[in-house]
Amino acid sequence: MEQAAIAPPAGGAHASTPVHAGHGEHETSTGVTNTKLAMWIFLSSECLLFGALIATYLLYRGRSKGIEPADVYNIPFTSATSFILLMSSLTMVLALAAIQRADYRRTKIWLVATALFGMVFIGGQVYEFTEFTRKGVTVDTNLFGSSFYLLTGLHGLHVTVGIVWLLSLWGLTTQGRLQQKDSETIEISGLYWHFVDVVWIVIFTVVYLIPM
Amino acid sequence: MTTTLTVPKVKRSIFRRPQATTGFRSWFTTVDHKKIAIMYATTALVFLVLGGIEALLIRLQLAGPNGTVLTASQYNTMFTMHGTTMVFLMGMPLAVGFGNYLIPLQIGARDVAFPRLNAFGYWVVLFGGIFLYSSFVLGGAPNGGWFGYTPLTSSPISLGALPGRGPDFWTVGLIMLGIGSTTSAVNFIVTILNMRAPGMTLMRMPVFCWMMLVVAFLTVFAMPIVTVALTMVWWDRNLMSNFFNAAAGGDPLLYQHLFWLFGHPEVYILILPGMGIVSEILPVMSRKPLFGYSVVVFSGIAIGFLGWGVWAHHMFVTGLGPVAVSAFSLSTMLIAIPTGVKIFNWLGTVWGGSIRLNTPMLFSLGFIAMFTIGGLSGVLHSVVPADTQQTDTYFVVAHFHYVLFGGLVFGIFGGIFYWFPLLYGRFMNEKLGKVTFWLTLIGFNLTFFPMHILGLEGQARRTYRYAEGMGFDALNLAATVGSFVIAVAVLLLLVNILVSRRHGAVAPHDPWDARSLEWSVSSYPPPEYNFEEVPQVEARDELWHRKYTEDESGRLVRLPSGGADAPSAGAVATLEPDARDGGGDGGAVVPSGGGHGAGGHGIHMPSPSYFPILMCAGLPVVGYGVVFQNWYLGALGVLILIVGMYAWALEPSSE
Amino acid sequence: MSDADTTTTTEPVQDPDHNMLVGTAEEREREKKYGLQEIPPEEVPLLPGELSHHPSPFQYVVIAMILVVITALEVGVSYLEGDIPNGLIIVLLLGMGLVKLVLVASYYMHLKTDKPVFRRFFIMAAVGAIFLYLIVLTTLGVWDGGS
Repeated sequence: MEQAAIAPPAGGAHASTPVHAGHGEHETSTGVTNTKLAMWIFLSSECLLFGALIATYLLYRGRSKGIEPADVYNIPFTSATSFILLMSSLTMVLALAAIQRADYRRTKIWLVATALFGMVFIGGQVYEFTEFTRKGVTVDTNLFGSSFYLLTGLHGLHVTVGIVWLLSLWGLTTQGRLQQKDSETIEISGLYWHFVDVVWIVIFTVVYLIPM
Repeated sequence: MTTTLTVPKVKRSIFRRPQATTGFRSWFTTVDHKKIAIMYATTALVFLVLGGIEALLIRLQLAGPNGTVLTASQYNTMFTMHGTTMVFLMGMPLAVGFGNYLIPLQIGARDVAFPRLNAFGYWVVLFGGIFLYSSFVLGGAPNGGWFGYTPLTSSPISLGALPGRGPDFWTVGLIMLGIGSTTSAVNFIVTILNMRAPGMTLMRMPVFCWMMLVVAFLTVFAMPIVTVALTMVWWDRNLMSNFFNAAAGGDPLLYQHLFWLFGHPEVYILILPGMGIVSEILPVMSRKPLFGYSVVVFSGIAIGFLGWGVWAHHMFVTGLGPVAVSAFSLSTMLIAIPTGVKIFNWLGTVWGGSIRLNTPMLFSLGFIAMFTIGGLSGVLHSVVPADTQQTDTYFVVAHFHYVLFGGLVFGIFGGIFYWFPLLYGRFMNEKLGKVTFWLTLIGFNLTFFPMHILGLEGQARRTYRYAEGMGFDALNLAATVGSFVIAVAVLLLLVNILVSRRHGAVAPHDPWDARSLEWSVSSYPPPEYNFEEVPQVEARDELWHRKYTEDESGRLVRLPSGGADAPSAGAVATLEPDARDGGGDGGAVVPSGGGHGAGGHGIHMPSPSYFPILMCAGLPVVGYGVVFQNWYLGALGVLILIVGMYAWALEPSSE
Repeated sequence: MSDADTTTTTEPVQDPDHNMLVGTAEEREREKKYGLQEIPPEEVPLLPGELSHHPSPFQYVVIAMILVVITALEVGVSYLEGDIPNGLIIVLLLGMGLVKLVLVASYYMHLKTDKPVFRRFFIMAAVGAIFLYLIVLTTLGVWDGGS
């Protein structure tokens, strides 16, 4: 079931190395590594998680009594933070590209940039939450409040975990413990980060932009 | 020798890496799938007893009209904990335990894909179970039903609906257990897809592994949904959110949808392992291959997919409207098809076979019969007008006990008898086994068959007593008697397990003349590294094909050297360096050493680790912090989790 | 069992540019060979699971620009509320959101260049989730518009 790697053009000295399950014993049956497969399965399950939360939000947006999204949303502000998160996906994938060619300096730069953008996004979320609270939307206010905070709060938690992860990877790279051969570690964290961004793409569209 | 300049070594952690793979303390740090499996099964059997005691209390209360054994409130706790225990602390862990032991052995691997994660998954079950049960003394055990319908469970404490901490322990405890289930499921999927031995294509894989693959997918996709539902319940109850608050426009039915979106796949998660076990035992005890292997596999996959489309059949009387109700009725009828197909395939397996009616076979045949009865009552439920009468009565209780007890538990019991020699090199006591089977069968039917009648006569579920003169007395008494017969049977089973471990008849190599690779190992129990050499697989039922071929007239002919690494009687491992691959580093070999290469092959096994159990200890701390809203505890728990996670991530998987 | 840990001889050699890591002799060789210059994508080793090489950094930036443009369009469309029918807005927004999602998943998450197994799981889960939750929402009457 293994696919042959595409032969690199002349000059390259590498066919795809046989994929080891982890202990150098033998190749994996599918040709993909255990960790990458595991991360994709985990991300697939997260689709169900965020799907439930988004569905709940959609169900309740029309039934919520009292203060409404339109009363509190600051679309320009949220657009700006969404833009930042999108750019963080770019820096993330540039970090991966950098470590794949052993450019450790840029790896660290892009990793820190991604984490920084993430922190700005979270800062934006915190600001948004405080603004909403000030305007009278809290978890217990109404259906809108409950479903909004659960959805975006859980998303923010995911982003925060991602930021900590990225900073840890930056630390490891600084100590020299993350090298080109460990590119997949960055790739896995990148998959997580992009997924969190993808969820925000959906949230931004469905929660903020789509009219009632 | 070149000078090797190495990256500066990581600071020695406070704990030196544990090395031992034998001894009592090694169990706490083990990453060996076989030991983890035994821990899963042992814990699950303890919870079987606890859940059984809860059931006995229920039955005592209902033995006669106007029972006084339990108050209403206590009764609610009993049926909640009975259900929660049997589903989450007995059924799933036992299935995962079987999977843990057998999957690597059946696919020809040395361990699962993520050994430390595997250990972590087990400790979650133990700590989560203890967490749930500690609620009895810490503010009240869960009492909102194992399904926890809102708004009863989500109503804030201050409004007095369910006083005490029961629902909070329940939501937090189940989320905790869900984390462990999800990690185990991911582990199994990656193991099965990625770590099969050379030549072991998916269609050569034992049916048990296939069923566990489907189960793992169901788990991974269903757990997030219930996590969301439970979180909403906790929020409503503690943060005064409005998800299920009708006054604010919330819809309690949303909870039911989310819960059953999880709950229905959950019941397939429970039954498919039993089907897998039975699919392994029947061919061996009939000396015939499984009839229609591909069809059985595809039916399992079909059940996995269709199982997502039937959930609202648990909600037929909630006012869904005729369109929804008809659609789900249809899908429920549809799912009977692949299920029925499997039954016929099992019958076809046994038909014309050379049958050995030993205990594993008896339980497997019992499975087919009992599960079929349960399936028939299930099909009756799929007919909406009929279900409108049956729902929330004992008819439903009868149905799901027939499929879960008569199905999963019968399968598990059979599996215990069947694979016991693999784990311990000894048989369980066969006479006692047969007595256990008959007592189980009789007790089970005496308990649950009357419930079909009681349900149709109107006895409602989840009510702590019934009045005199309803006509329920005699059958309830019969059910109570039956439940104690079951208790005796379970007791016999446990005694059998405990005694046979040391004193059972010694089992020869491949005692059942089996068909799959787990029996081909060099010793029972298998060595830590499972196989001397990674098996090369050439056929389905690989072990059988190594042992037998057929002559022109189709009769079995035993092959001369078929089947085993080193046929040795009993449990003693005899390891010899295998000359065929160059002898490795030759010389003396240390069996069951801590992570050392064995058999002269330099087999590299993952090393034991403290961090699965240490990190897992953070979970109940967080749990208590959340239940009692003590943020210091919560922060401490999170700290333990984070420290444990970092230490784990930075530790190499083997040293 | 490797005992490489115990054979450290001298202090690890520090590269004068302290941004560089300390590595084994083999790794420092590779550093010398490739240096810090951009390695052409063909020479970057394929990661396990890749069918073809990942997009280049330049392509990543191009995708990012497209994403920004689409986001700006989305925000623009949302401001047209009241001027054009809501149904149209919803269709446009969902469409654009979908395009962004597919772009990130295909190029940043490498689904386009990786082996199909990842794509299949993820699509199955995403499509399955949408389908299931649409049924739930329909059953709960979300299309009936308000309470």
